[in-house]
Formats: sequence, C-alpha cells, structure tokens
Amino acid sequence: MKTDITPYLERLLITVLISLVIVGFINEGAYLLQKEKTDRPPKTIQLVIPAGTAARVAAGESTPSIPEKMVFVTGDVLEVKNEDSSAHQLGPVWVPAGTTGRLELREPNKYTYSCSFAPSRFLGLDVRQPTTLGTRLAGMALSAPPMAAFIFIYGLLVFPIKSGKKEGLKQV
Amino acid sequence: MKMKPLYAGLFGIIVIGILLVGWRVLAGSYRFQGSLIDPPAPAADFTLTDQNGQPFRLSDQRGKVTLLFFGYTHCTDVCPITLASFTKIHEQLGKQADNVRFVFITVDPERDTIQQMHDHLAKFDPAIIGLTGSPSELGPVWKDYGVFLDPHHGVGVENYDVDHSSRIYAIDTQSNWRLTYPAEMDWQTIAEDVAHLLN
Repeated sequence: MKTDITPYLERLLITVLISLVIVGFINEGAYLLQKEKTDRPPKTIQLVIPAGTAARVAAGESTPSIPEKMVFVTGDVLEVKNEDSSAHQLGPVWVPAGTTGRLELREPNKYTYSCSFAPSRFLGLDVRQPTTLGTRLAGMALSAPPMAAFIFIYGLLVFPIKSGKKEGLKQV
Repeated sequence: MKMKPLYAGLFGIIVIGILLVGWRVLAGSYRFQGSLIDPPAPAADFTLTDQNGQPFRLSDQRGKVTLLFFGYTHCTDVCPITLASFTKIHEQLGKQADNVRFVFITVDPERDTIQQMHDHLAKFDPAIIGLTGSPSELGPVWKDYGVFLDPHHGVGVENYDVDHSSRIYAIDTQSNWRLTYPAEMDWQTIAEDVAHLLN
C-alpha cells in the first residue's frame, strides 16, 4: 500500500511558515524593547599610541586620552598601534615599539588590566555579547522548530488530514 | 513514497546551504587567538642561568617556539597556574613539543636561587626551563619585556609577595615576538596557537 505523505509535508511546510512568522514577531518585538548600544556587529577598534608617549608619561605630562572603561562586543578586534619608541601595554595587548598589537575579544566578561599610559594605570574592559542579526536569526532558528512541532501536532488533532484526500480540498 | 519537486528543491537548497557553511568554516585561514604582534618584532636577546646552573641564551633557541613567562617560585597565585598550563600544553603538543621551549624567568632573584628553581620546577614538568640571575642581569630583561614588578618586602619580612605582570610571550622560530597571552587565557588555546606557529 502506497502512503501519500504529500498532504503531511504541505501541512508541515505551512506550519513552519506560520511558526517563523509568530516567532519572528515575538523575537523582534523583544529585541526592539530591550535594544542596547552594544547591539551591533563586531568591528575593529584601533587606538594609536603616538611617538613620545613614554617620555611624556615619565615627565608627568598629559598622555593620549582613553576612557578608563571601554565597552566592546564579542568578536571586536582591539588593535593598538604603537608609534612610540618603547613598548606599551593597553589592557591585554602588549605592543613592542613600532608594531601593532591585535587581539580578538572572544569571551564576554569584565576585565581590569594595567595600562602603561592611562592616568590611573588601570583599564577596564567590558566585553558584552551583542544581539546581532545573526543571533536573532539563531534565536528564531532555535525557537521555530518546537513552535512548529506544537502547531503541527495541534493541527493534526484539531484538523486531522483525511486519508486519500488532498490537503486544502473540501471533502464531499 | 512520493515527493513533490517543490520539496525535493527545498531539501536540495538546505543541503547546499549546509555544504557552503561547512566549506566556509573549513577553508577559512587560521586566526591566532592570542594578542598578535604585527609585524613580528625581534625578541630582545638575553643570557641567564637555568635551574641546572647552565647558561641559557634566547637566540640559541632559533628554530623553536619559546613560551616565556615571568614569575617567582613563592607565588601562590598565577605562577603555579601558568606552570601547570605549560605542563598541559607540553602534553597536548606531544611530539611537536620537542620544538617548544617552556621558559620561566624569575622576578624575585633574592629568593629564586638556582637550587630553589630546580626544586620548585621538579614539581611540575622537567621540560620547563627556570631562569635566574643577579638583579643586574635580570633588570634589562624585565625592562625589554615590559615586566612590571613590585615586591612587598620590608625589614624582617621573609614571606613577601611580589606583584608582577603575568602575560605569556610566544616567540616564533625566527626569534620574533609574535603573540602574547593574558594570564587567564586557557592552555588549550595557547597550545593550538603554538601548533600553528610550529607549522
């Protein structure tokens, strides 16, 4: 006996589409209500240490101004270009003279590091997990299947598919 | 069992999508996970004394990757954790570890004598090279490697602590500073980077 699964597949496809719409509305609504400034894709953040910084620090003069607390998102690349004649440290990045130090911030966490030229000698890094289009889509991908399964089973119970009949056709 | 062309098409698109994502992931070039120094800068050379009383010169290690850490044997904090990480990296690299030097340089020459280094490192991994020297020998090394240190000792204080920077340096086979790692970086990540430096 041949089993025609087409009506079930059609029902499943429709269910998945309905689930995606429902989940999309819920997820995007929650996102818009809770959106933060750090909800952005990762990027490269470059800081330049100008020539003569070490000498200015030694002389007690003003140094390149950087905020004592910097907020990043996971995946950001902290790039420190050292144009000075001696090595510098900015948080987790140690940069010999004339080179660039580059670190991808992978883990969300709050760090306190020493900094060779910050006024307080310390630097706080706050690495946050951003809510990007990718994470929102991943959220939808995770929540849509159980929603679809629920609607599909519910639909089968409330609107059963008649055997031998095409889905969507009225039974006479 | 029948399947409409529409569903066969959808199935095909999903399979192609998975294959494309898999190819993108596998084909992507390796990205070092430590703080990358670009362009690589020649590592400052030094000669110090190891735990067996033998001279150790950094430039003699050309052709090998050197993992270098500054600490002291009386440390109860980051130093034993880092030495344990060195041991695990050594194990993880297996045969490749023959081309890696694990180096521990003291920031406390007053207490870290050759014998003290020998006895302390024997608790970890014989592959770890402990280096010490006089303050006048170590001073330029600390300066070249940007090491911060602040001993908390005073008159009559024997069991003092030394605040010190705790980064790990990876020096490549061409004796260049290539990567640094903050103390909290996990050893698996460092081992992965070192394996790529060797390749």
